[in-house]
Amino acid sequence: MRKIGDRLDGYDPGQFKHKFKMLFIIVSVALSLLVMRMWYLQVIEGDELRQRSENNSVRLRKIKPMRGLIMDEDRRVLVDNQPSFDIVFIPNRTKDIRTVIDKIKELYTERSLTLPALSALPGRVKPFVPVLLERNISMEKLAVVETHALELPGVVTEVTPVRKYLNGEMTAQIIGFTGEVSREELDRSAAGKLSPGDIIGKFGIEKFLDSHLRGKSGAEQVEVNVAGKAVRSLGRIPATTGDNVVLTIDSALQEAAWSAIGNRAGAVAVLDPRNGAVLALVSSPSFDPNLFNGGISYDDWETLSNDPRHPMENRSISGQYPPGSTYKIVVAAAALEEGLITPETTFYCNGTFELGDRVFRCWQAKGHGNVNLHRAIVESCDVYFYNLGKLLGVDRIAAYARAFGLGAPLGIDLPREKGGLIPTKQWKLSRLRESWQTGETISLAIGQGFNLVTPIQLANAYATLANGGVLYRPRLVKQLESLDGHVVKVFQPEKQGVLPVRPQHIQVINQALWGAVNEKGGTGYILKRQEQDVCGKTGTAQVIGLPQDEKARKAKRVSADFRDHALFVCFAPYGNPEIVVAVILENAGHGGSAAAPVARKVIDAYFSRKKMTQTQPPAQAQGAADVRKMPKP
Amino acid sequence: MIRLDRRLILNFDWTLFILVLIISGIGLLNIYSAGFSLTDLRQTQLYIKQVQWILIGLVGMALAFLIDYRFLNRHAYIIYGISIVLLLVVFTAGYATRGSQRWIAVGGFTFQPSELVKLTIILALAKYFDRHQIGRGYHLTELFIPFLIVIIPFLFILKQPDLGTGLILFILFLSIVFFVGLDWKSLLIAAAGGLILTPIGWYFLKDYQRERMLTFFSPERDPLGSGYHIIQSMIAVGSGGIFGKGFLKGSQTQLKFLPEQQTDFVFSVFAEEWGFLGGMILLIMFLSLILWGLKIMIHSKDYPGALIAFGITMLIFWEVFINIGMVLGILPVVGIPLPFLSYGGSSMVVLMTAVGLLMNISVRRFILQSS
Repeated sequence: MRKIGDRLDGYDPGQFKHKFKMLFIIVSVALSLLVMRMWYLQVIEGDELRQRSENNSVRLRKIKPMRGLIMDEDRRVLVDNQPSFDIVFIPNRTKDIRTVIDKIKELYTERSLTLPALSALPGRVKPFVPVLLERNISMEKLAVVETHALELPGVVTEVTPVRKYLNGEMTAQIIGFTGEVSREELDRSAAGKLSPGDIIGKFGIEKFLDSHLRGKSGAEQVEVNVAGKAVRSLGRIPATTGDNVVLTIDSALQEAAWSAIGNRAGAVAVLDPRNGAVLALVSSPSFDPNLFNGGISYDDWETLSNDPRHPMENRSISGQYPPGSTYKIVVAAAALEEGLITPETTFYCNGTFELGDRVFRCWQAKGHGNVNLHRAIVESCDVYFYNLGKLLGVDRIAAYARAFGLGAPLGIDLPREKGGLIPTKQWKLSRLRESWQTGETISLAIGQGFNLVTPIQLANAYATLANGGVLYRPRLVKQLESLDGHVVKVFQPEKQGVLPVRPQHIQVINQALWGAVNEKGGTGYILKRQEQDVCGKTGTAQVIGLPQDEKARKAKRVSADFRDHALFVCFAPYGNPEIVVAVILENAGHGGSAAAPVARKVIDAYFSRKKMTQTQPPAQAQGAADVRKMPKP
Repeated sequence: MIRLDRRLILNFDWTLFILVLIISGIGLLNIYSAGFSLTDLRQTQLYIKQVQWILIGLVGMALAFLIDYRFLNRHAYIIYGISIVLLLVVFTAGYATRGSQRWIAVGGFTFQPSELVKLTIILALAKYFDRHQIGRGYHLTELFIPFLIVIIPFLFILKQPDLGTGLILFILFLSIVFFVGLDWKSLLIAAAGGLILTPIGWYFLKDYQRERMLTFFSPERDPLGSGYHIIQSMIAVGSGGIFGKGFLKGSQTQLKFLPEQQTDFVFSVFAEEWGFLGGMILLIMFLSLILWGLKIMIHSKDYPGALIAFGITMLIFWEVFINIGMVLGILPVVGIPLPFLSYGGSSMVVLMTAVGLLMNISVRRFILQSS
């Protein structure tokens, strides 16, 4: 180790003397520059700048951007913007906000109008920081404030665009709504992206595509006088309008599904099986998104969020239901593909299936007799599928269910999509710490038990059958367009996988689904149509397990909350399917009688519209005629 | 390591100490004013926090004064290494506000290691050039290691992103290189290289940083965004006139027209309330501080002492010059604090510590002389 002082040897203490002079000059010149600049600003320009600061003066005014429009597939506008008038008070040091508010109150009551939410005003007011007194005021109030402008110093009306949801409840679940950005959202956002007071999407497509819809705020630097009115503009950056969103939704189908479902609770999902485009997505009951314009009132929010029917939940993507008999296609595909059965294999159904000391019932108490796969699907024979379930085991069923897109979110263009549940032995062991019982596989085979699916998953699973085995990601957005109509982005169909089922097996199942609607004895016979061949499957999902005892079963069925969910999934036309419809009605009873008519309305709407458009361009009619030549089962 | 010597007290550098205390005191009053009259209670506490920072800074100053600087010089690389590790911590576990990740949180306080790096690279460079004295100007190739010493933290800090601190590191590096002497050919090559690299560097800047540069060259380009700072700042300074509007009476300040008025734009608060005269006095104090630092440099009894004194003095000089130049609208807006005046703990503590080191070098010339 060196000793302190070693380094002193050979060091010339004077060696930096000449550098000191140079540094002295540099530093002095630099600081003199600052002094000269201060002199210029404070002495030469001083009076002028002082004037500007006293008038003061310059304020930044934000120019809010217009949100993009949302349109349906046919470019019908679903969401528009309309002006909203807000009353804003710009305080300064001399005027008291209370007197101004009292004055407004007085003016209002003269015309028997009331100013709401005065208590919500900030206790202390910062000078020159605008205070929002009332949002989205009526025309009468606007007139009152404008005509008394002289008596109301510092009070200004501002125009801001708010959303107008033209279809209200019908599309509320898809489109969502907007609202003022919250503290948490501000903290989470990237720097400069959001600022307090910004309006952002809170739900649905408004939220999902918010960054595209929102546009960019502009700003204006203005000089204001003592009353807070802008005197002159010093500079301005215009706001940029957000992109327009074109959805894949067909308003006519949406309308048909919405009116068919009425005030019952449930959901309808309609897909184009050829590319995964979502043609309609209905969830009922719904809510009026226009309530959220300019901030929802406390009472409205309480009513909405405490409604026992959960109108804010989008059942079509986040409602998870037991699939009931609609699940039988998965079991059928698995059994065929695993070579456990052929289409000709028969099982005898006497109305019950016994496993150990447990008895599983067929919905048809007197039994179906000898049934092959085709009849088993057409008549929805439970015993047949109990047998398949026993042969397959839970894990093999689960593997095929996943291939059909069940058990995990599909990635639709909406927030809060749920994944449903496809149980496996492993799942039960890790989640419930219990081992799997064979009996559970038996009920699983007819879609009862732990199984849960969402309506969109159900529609998508049938779409893979309809298109011959391709699993698409359901898409809700067709393209983004700029204000002037330029296409910004087109969303292409996205293949997510291929069903590991051979075409001839898919064909067998599809024929059976055709039979379920078109053959006598089929559970969906109610949907039989002359013009278009519909293939479909009914489902009736038990909400709770039914007691074995006959009397107790009857008693249980009475209570409305425990009534079965009615399901129906179908696609059409048989040869070259263009549309898949999945319907779930909560506590509505049997799938064939309750859910199928809803699906029928949607199918009817689709084909009547198609007919109308086809009579005009003859070229397309030719193509449709070819489809009709496909072999019938 | 620490040896309390009677001569430490006898030859204590009172001039430097009192100068720094006065400047910090002015800064404190100014922070009080900048935080005054805000309805938000949290903001009015700013000056109390600043007092805490000054006190912590004084502890740092005492430590830096008592530990023989030659001891620090011997361990300069380790100290440098620790500061780089802290930068890495920021990188992985740092705390981000407004889009840049610069802070680490230590029990209620946040600390900005990039401020510390300003001091540790001075120590590291001083040690390097002390070890590698060659008696002529350095060639570019001989500057590779010192360049490495600076470029590592520089890149980390640029990534945070913190253009201002990165800039200071680079300017410190250049200052020290010029000080130790650069071969004239190398100088030409470096200048040419700099010219070529500028457009490439432009490519690596963040959008907001480019925006600020462009705004500097034409403030009317963006009178609302970054230009707003400059315009409002110049109005504040100019409206102060010769004598200022008086303590707590600056309307620009009190009406909060100035963003960042406690931190980078703190000088505009001062200039508005104390006018040209106040600004002059403050600048004279800074000039005295800088000249005093240079005096310590030439009287240092060894090479590393002189280099450290030079580095610290230059750090203060460049920060003062760039910060005030930016507030007055003659330099682009980059985030560089005004020494001893800007609100913020890391800068205050680090600069106080640096001043302690200056005192250390100042006092030990008497001790070394007699040993």
